[in-house]
Amino acid sequence: MELEASVRLFGGKRRLVERVRDESAALGVAQLSWAPTSLAALALARAARSNGFAAPLAEVLDALPLDALSAVAAHRATLARLGCTTLGQVRALPRGGLGRRFDAALLATLDQAYGLRPEAHRWVEIPDTFAVRLELMARVELAPALLFGARRLLLQMCGWLAARHAGVTAFTLRWWHDAMRSKAAGEGGELTVRTAQPTRDVEHLTRLLAEHLAHVVLSAAVGDVQLLAVDVCPLAPPSLSLLPEPRQVGENLALVLERIAARLGPDQVLRPLLCEDHRAEWMTHWQPAAASAVHTSHPPRRCVDIPQPSFVLTQPLRLALRDHRPLYQGVLQLLAGPHRVEGGWWDRTVADGQSATRHVARDYWVALSEHAGVLWVFQTRLDDEQIAWFLHGMFA
Amino acid sequence: MSLPARRLHDAPASLPLPVVTSAPAATPRALPRDIEAALWRGDQIGVPVTAVVPSGFAALDAELPGGGWPCNSLTELLQPQPGVAEWRLLGDAVRRAVAAGRTLVVVGPPHSPHLPGLQHLGVDERHLVWVRADRPAERLWVTEQLIRANAAGLLLSWLPQARPEQIRRLQLCAQSCDAPVFLCRPVTAASEPSAAPLRVELRFGADWELQLRLLKRKGPTHEGVLTLASVPGGLESILTPRLRQPSRLIAARQARDTLHVVGSPAPRRPAARAAVRSLAAH
Repeated sequence: MELEASVRLFGGKRRLVERVRDESAALGVAQLSWAPTSLAALALARAARSNGFAAPLAEVLDALPLDALSAVAAHRATLARLGCTTLGQVRALPRGGLGRRFDAALLATLDQAYGLRPEAHRWVEIPDTFAVRLELMARVELAPALLFGARRLLLQMCGWLAARHAGVTAFTLRWWHDAMRSKAAGEGGELTVRTAQPTRDVEHLTRLLAEHLAHVVLSAAVGDVQLLAVDVCPLAPPSLSLLPEPRQVGENLALVLERIAARLGPDQVLRPLLCEDHRAEWMTHWQPAAASAVHTSHPPRRCVDIPQPSFVLTQPLRLALRDHRPLYQGVLQLLAGPHRVEGGWWDRTVADGQSATRHVARDYWVALSEHAGVLWVFQTRLDDEQIAWFLHGMFA
Repeated sequence: MSLPARRLHDAPASLPLPVVTSAPAATPRALPRDIEAALWRGDQIGVPVTAVVPSGFAALDAELPGGGWPCNSLTELLQPQPGVAEWRLLGDAVRRAVAAGRTLVVVGPPHSPHLPGLQHLGVDERHLVWVRADRPAERLWVTEQLIRANAAGLLLSWLPQARPEQIRRLQLCAQSCDAPVFLCRPVTAASEPSAAPLRVELRFGADWELQLRLLKRKGPTHEGVLTLASVPGGLESILTPRLRQPSRLIAARQARDTLHVVGSPAPRRPAARAAVRSLAAH
């Protein structure tokens, strides 16, 4: 990558080198090197040396072995019989003879590496889809340990996403068991992670994947992992402002809830949805927060003007009676009521294999208990014509 | 730094400092403004440097350091049983958080929240998230994640079994959280030490009251009980003058019951009236 023109953007060459050195380690880069020409840098890296600026380029390159440049390495056997072991010795041979005995690529490569001939590179074309496979350095027995390899792939994926100005909403981690597996273990498995909002934040994706991997039990040791970007959609990065930002407001709530849902299960993180119903059990429909993020643009529904408790019991609790008065931590003092709620024969459901309706006929009262606060109780007639009292909510 | 400064002014004449002896009548008011702000006197309520959210009760705000529920720290609400008066106390703070467009997150409430009732506090469906975590470890983890993320407008978490060191950990996290964080705990936890800078014991009174005791706050200890008038959302409109004081109704009923037990061998049925009235609606 030609950087000379934009060195200042990165805060100088030294800073840039440091940043590249620090961040490339996570991608699995083993050797970094830099030199005035790209082929020279490549040759230095192959020879396990890094700095091509320490001495004049010709001196540095002359000492390198033949393997350092691919075009030279192809003729290694012939050159070795001529007595050449370093690039400098090859270059010392007469050019005319070299051009006649070997192909044109050898001379061209040598000239390009030494900076005598301009280098032409092909444009890097970013693939349309992302699917990268990585062979793990050691067999992995536990699913959370897959994260180490997966993080390297995630970094690559986020680089790919940044280059395409896109974010991911679903990605799949696939793994293959190694050859020593038992027959019952199968080929491998896969895990698809979905996010509510498109993102290319490595840290968030890693934590999300870690939560999902914590639930996975591997049936055999894993040798390879592959990461695929399944759903990709365009994502514009937030533009930076010239003026200082007021303050970082913290993490996005959706991201935290997503992480919590990944650990506890999607049914444990809920957002309400008001339903047009008069029966308290079905007034609020709770749905997973991730699914309802789409519907958040609804205008708020109108407020009910009749008294409603702030907590309801999922199952109304039948109250004991004394002298025909309901008891809940003492005798209840009925304050206001009755408020008749009736109907629901149209709401059919299947309970215990028989179809039934959720018909209710209840008289709600606001009651006061000396210990349990203001309660919402109702009186209803049971199937055997008995009158029963139930506790249904609390005005907490 | 408060103590030496205080001694300086109350100093007896034996102190060899000429400044003190020459100006024994110098009142604390004469101090420069910035020193005054940095000085804390033993009889003052502490002033937290953090932001506060007004509680909506003037009597309570006057007793709370800074004049409201503190942000950047934990507040413990201790109740004899959960789910009795939380929303009544926090109604105004909730209303402010939602009006600012921020989300109210409840973690592990004792019963399921009922949105139509919460609408009286201004909560709508876009600004409420219920995290259903049953195990104590899960509740703690969720609470810590939410506090660390600093994304909620108000966090209300029921932690009946939290240990003191866990509360301390949460308090450390909460110092970087801009929203008020309330932990609902049983009143038995009042005897345990806690790192939360504000601890409130909350009971409800029969006559539409909340009775608060500030067990711990920055500043001098608070003696006595704060009684705040509070009617749950939506009930205000249906209260008749007779219903304004339910304690009288209860007292009257108990007097009647005693009379029946003592006076007549075959007691009438006092609640039968109510039953008959509602049956008539069938």
